[in-house]
Amino acid sequence: MNAIKSSLYRRLPSLMVYRSVTTKKKIPDPDEEEQLPIFKYPVSKSSDRRVYVWGMAETGALGIHLPGRGKRGKKSYRNDFSLVWFPMRSSFCERFDVTQIACGYGFTVAAVKTDEQHKLFGTGINTDSQIGYHAPRIGHPLELLLSPAPIYIPYKSLETKITGLAAGRAHTVILTDNEGVYTLGNNAYGQCGRKINPKEEYRGSMVSYNIKRLGKENINYVCCGQDHTLFITESGRVYACGWGADGQTGLGTYDNQDIPAPVQGDITSEKIVKVTSTVDCVLAINDKGELFGWGNSEYGQIPMTSKCDQVNKSYALVNFTRGLGKIVDIAAGGSFCLIVNDQGDVFVWGFGLLGLGPNVQHSTNPKQIPPALFGRNEFNPESAVQKVACGIGHLAAVTNNGDLYTWGRNRHGCLGLGHTKDQHFPLKVSIGAHVLDVKCSVDHTIAYCKPFV
Amino acid sequence: MVVKLRDAALAYKTLNGIVCIYKPPGVPVRRVQQTIITNLCRDLNALPDRPQEKRIEIVGATNAPMTVKLVPNYADDPLICGPRYIQDDFRCSWATHLGLFTSGVLLLGINDGTRLTYHINVARPTRAYKVHGQLGKATDTYFWNGKTVERSTFSHVTREKIDRIVAHMQLAHQKTMFELSGLHMDSQATYEVASQGLIRPANSKLPVIYGLKCVHFDPPNFTLEVQAVNEYDKYLWTLVHDLGIQLKTSAYCTGLQCIRQGKFDLELALLRKHWKIEYLIDNMDRCRQILEENETLLKPKSAQLSV
Repeated sequence: MNAIKSSLYRRLPSLMVYRSVTTKKKIPDPDEEEQLPIFKYPVSKSSDRRVYVWGMAETGALGIHLPGRGKRGKKSYRNDFSLVWFPMRSSFCERFDVTQIACGYGFTVAAVKTDEQHKLFGTGINTDSQIGYHAPRIGHPLELLLSPAPIYIPYKSLETKITGLAAGRAHTVILTDNEGVYTLGNNAYGQCGRKINPKEEYRGSMVSYNIKRLGKENINYVCCGQDHTLFITESGRVYACGWGADGQTGLGTYDNQDIPAPVQGDITSEKIVKVTSTVDCVLAINDKGELFGWGNSEYGQIPMTSKCDQVNKSYALVNFTRGLGKIVDIAAGGSFCLIVNDQGDVFVWGFGLLGLGPNVQHSTNPKQIPPALFGRNEFNPESAVQKVACGIGHLAAVTNNGDLYTWGRNRHGCLGLGHTKDQHFPLKVSIGAHVLDVKCSVDHTIAYCKPFV
Repeated sequence: MVVKLRDAALAYKTLNGIVCIYKPPGVPVRRVQQTIITNLCRDLNALPDRPQEKRIEIVGATNAPMTVKLVPNYADDPLICGPRYIQDDFRCSWATHLGLFTSGVLLLGINDGTRLTYHINVARPTRAYKVHGQLGKATDTYFWNGKTVERSTFSHVTREKIDRIVAHMQLAHQKTMFELSGLHMDSQATYEVASQGLIRPANSKLPVIYGLKCVHFDPPNFTLEVQAVNEYDKYLWTLVHDLGIQLKTSAYCTGLQCIRQGKFDLELALLRKHWKIEYLIDNMDRCRQILEENETLLKPKSAQLSV
């Protein structure tokens, strides 16, 4: 070895000269830095919005194309694109300025800001023409749309703006600023607000119905349950139509209602600002932040003094929620109710995965979900929940910092946590934007966000 | 407050415990250790010590009465056998390491205090940092000593935007906190711990950030205050870089200062001019008091984040 070394040294003396090797970082030359170009990254406008979608993708409700069966490459999304496990940016909403969005059962509708005819787009299940008539071949209407398509609505003026959207199991309700409400889709129970025709064929139907005013007042807010629709007028009166078997129309009967009629009971004298319903239980708040409810109460969502599982008249829950402060947002799920007060505290009652740990399945009284679970700790004492939303089995909350928390039944990955296991307490969803609003459906969830920069 | 020392042997015996040192930037932790031990040896040797040993010498013819003499024992003379206290007499270890360019609070265990540093390390208290950054430039090391790889505009960055992103980053880290806590997500125990607040990580593998706040913003310079566990200097540099990317510009770290470690903060930390035996002994006393007041610092009872 030494012999080889010495021979090398003799032959190639220049190679064997000891070099001072240093691992120390050299401080770079400032002139070199001056020559670098100054890069400008694109920065979003303050009006830009982003939409993130996740959950069941097979219905097309997310508006994201499925790769073809044969073309699945190595890079396919966890080898299974029928579910979107994590929030995914919707490319449709990058191309259009989406202003309103609503999730129905397996379909999604979105309103875009435009002065043209196509202000509304829909994607997903279309078995009852709830997202309009789409027929590439005449006489063969599509029952499933995999990417968003414009919905034809006969607006009287193209300057009309869509100010509200709501979607139920198989119907869509569109609120405009000066043309009232348009309804689309299934009317088997009168949920579209027009006469029920038992022989009506909903598949491939081109019918849209316009409700201009209710009780000589403009409509301010719409909300859809499973098969019923609720309207709030300017003066805060609530009208309802649709399926009433559980009392969810609040009209004092259990019959179906075709023409919207004012809800009976305690809310007739109140100014209601928001109603919410996902299945068959309805919650409402008035301008003073007091809670009202009607509809299904099988799991104690609307507790009555007499044992009654179907409350068919609105009922004030002021005593029930005494001491919880002013209520600012509400959500009614399949078997539970969720409210948030002005302090940002979240209360839940009913049956199911309430977010109170795996041991609590049922709660008859409003129970607070510990605020620490929504990120309120010594490093972040001002964190408060501002908005809540419910699907049938999953729940969601948005905080003032623009963070989204989800928990509950994780049907088809609708919690966006990267797995399909149920979640027993609120957990933050990883979204790279400031969440403004969240919409939950049966098996998919949509977050309406603002970019950070 | 500082006590005048009288006896080197007594002073040496009191040097068992942890000291809180302010580490200057650009000096490695090993050098700090060495300097402190060298200073201790220097100061101890300067103190009055026990008298030099005497040697008994019995001289004279063996068949006659011999005389007993006491003569100086050269084997005990510092001029011959070297100083009384040398560096090998001290054991020294750090509780958590600080990188070369990081300055700030450093806990060192001396002699029997090395055991304490081990317990502090295992207990994983949070550390607070001030991370100084600059916008508009990215370097290959994410730190000022690197080569510039990109320059970009930053005029669109405002205090509100930086605050919003920083709050979001903080919460994203608190989600990883659950994943690193070693708890099963479906158990009641997890729910109970989570509803109390923050959880400490189960191992020392991945960094967890608990608090992240922008405390100073004067473009292009900004300062973040970070409370974290398991972090290291390069991780905090990348944090600044990531923040730059999220702000649609580029950023690099210009400085890193550890301002708190558990309950030990900057006020306690000894500056280099005070790395002398009397200050170190006084500092050791104060550290001992803090450890006695906060037992959870050494032996945490639950997964809850306490400090």
